[in-house]
Amino acid sequence: MEINPLVVVAIMILVAYTFFYTPGGQLRNLLVLFVLFIIGVTLVLAVSEMPLFGSVESPAYNYVVQRYITGTVPETGALNAIAAIITDYRAFDTLGEATVLFTAVAAALATLGAQQGKR
Amino acid sequence: MDDLVTRSVCRLMVPFVQLYGAYLIFYGHLSPGGGFAGGAVVASSIILYALSFGRETAVLRVAPGISHLLESSGGLWYLLVGLCGIMLGGNFLANKAAGFYLGIPGQLFSSGIIFLLALGIGMKVSSTMVTLYYNLSAEVNDEDGHGI
Repeated sequence: MEINPLVVVAIMILVAYTFFYTPGGQLRNLLVLFVLFIIGVTLVLAVSEMPLFGSVESPAYNYVVQRYITGTVPETGALNAIAAIITDYRAFDTLGEATVLFTAVAAALATLGAQQGKR
Repeated sequence: MDDLVTRSVCRLMVPFVQLYGAYLIFYGHLSPGGGFAGGAVVASSIILYALSFGRETAVLRVAPGISHLLESSGGLWYLLVGLCGIMLGGNFLANKAAGFYLGIPGQLFSSGIIFLLALGIGMKVSSTMVTLYYNLSAEVNDEDGHGI
């Protein structure tokens, strides 16, 4: 089923308008509607620039995909291509993810652990 | 929470949940899963135990100190495996170029650092979630004045 982006943006504008609507303030409501219209036009223009879902011209379908599909088993020895990408081809990125987890725990201990010590 | 039904069901479920988490970590390079998913499952089993038996009982089984130790050593293990790649003559986190044993595709002990890194990631993710849960639940415990 094809979803028209215009319809989606129109519904979003209506919902946002009911959220920002103030009874009585007519000029304010007009301003809100104007700003929402500009945002909606920008969104529609951005969506119209995007490639269609599954189209061959999509920038995501380049030589990298071919390399992953054909090279996973001989180059990494893993059958799961996703595991090969995460922990072999892009292992440095996963190290960053591990650092994010470490930072989360450090922040939680710094804020909550200090309270525990006072008790 | 003192509920016989919850305790009995959790007592039955926790070993199977942990087994499934270990399976996800160890077989991440052969089937869907991996360190992140498996670590989350293992951590959820410990959190389930803490929810049903109370935080005080769970702390006796998995101490916060052990959780902290596993958290730090998981990250260090990741870095160590990456530095092994440099020592063996490749890039940082090199797999085949550094001469790690790739094995036969489809076997458990294969695919070089993917297997080793999944262990470290699983250790780190599970201990991170457990540490966060312990800290957040301790805060609730303090304000109420009695156990969760």
